[in-house]
Amino acid sequence: MSKSITDYIKLSIPNKPEYVSVVRLTVAAIANRMGFNVEDIEDIKIAIAEACTNAITHGKKEDKNNFDIEFIVKDDKLTMVVCDSGRGCITDEISVPNLNDPKEGGLGIFIIKSLMDEVEITSNLGKGTIIRMSKNRGDDN
Amino acid sequence: MSLIINKLYDEQQKQWLIELKGEVDIYTSAQLKETLLKLIEEKQETVKIDAKSLDYIDSTGLGVLIGVLKRLKQYDKVLKITNIKPSIKKLLNITGLDKIFVIEG
Repeated sequence: MSKSITDYIKLSIPNKPEYVSVVRLTVAAIANRMGFNVEDIEDIKIAIAEACTNAITHGKKEDKNNFDIEFIVKDDKLTMVVCDSGRGCITDEISVPNLNDPKEGGLGIFIIKSLMDEVEITSNLGKGTIIRMSKNRGDDN
Repeated sequence: MSLIINKLYDEQQKQWLIELKGEVDIYTSAQLKETLLKLIEEKQETVKIDAKSLDYIDSTGLGVLIGVLKRLKQYDKVLKITNIKPSIKKLLNITGLDKIFVIEG
C-alpha cells in the first residue's frame, strides 16, 4: 500500500501585474512535476492567473502589499489557494456570460470554474477573498 | 516574456491585419487595448488578428477584444481571429466568445 503524501508550497507575490507570469511559470513547473498532461497544465496556468488577476484587481491597490498563494500537492490532486486582503467583493454566484451583451470584465471567475474540478470562493466584506481550486490528475496521464 | 503587436493596413481587403506575439494578460492587456482602439480611430475597418504566435490570453485580454468588438460594431465591422492555438480556442469556446468573434482557420 502506498502512503499518501501531501506537500505544501507557498508563494507571496507583490500586487503587481508583471508578477502574474511568474506564478504561471511556477505552477506549470509544479503541475509538470506531478505528471499532469499538457492540456491540464494549460488549464491550471489559466486558472491560477485568473485568480491572481482577481487578487490584484480587487485586492488592495497599494503596490507595496503582497498576496499569498498556497499549492497543496497530493499524489493525484493539485489544490491552489489564492488569498488577498482586499475589499472582498466577489460572490460565488457567477453567471454564464451573456453573449447578447458581452461585458469586458467578469469572465475570470467563470473561466476558473469551467477549467477546474473544484472551486470554492470565500469573500468577506472588508477582509478579502480566498479562492480555493483543485484539479485532479486524470487516469490518462 | 511580453507582448509584441505588429500592425498593417490591408488596402485591398480594407481591414487591419494584427499579428500578436507572446502573452496577453493583466500586464500587457492595456497595451493591446490602446493599440487596437487607436487603429479603429484611424480607420473604421474590420480587425483581423493572426494568433499564430499568441501563446496565452486571459480574461483581461478577452475583455479587451470584447471592447474592441463593441467599438467595431458601431461601424458595422467585425473582429476576425485566425490561426488560434488549441488552448486559446478552448477558452473562446467555454466563454462562448467564439460565437461573437469571427473565427477563421
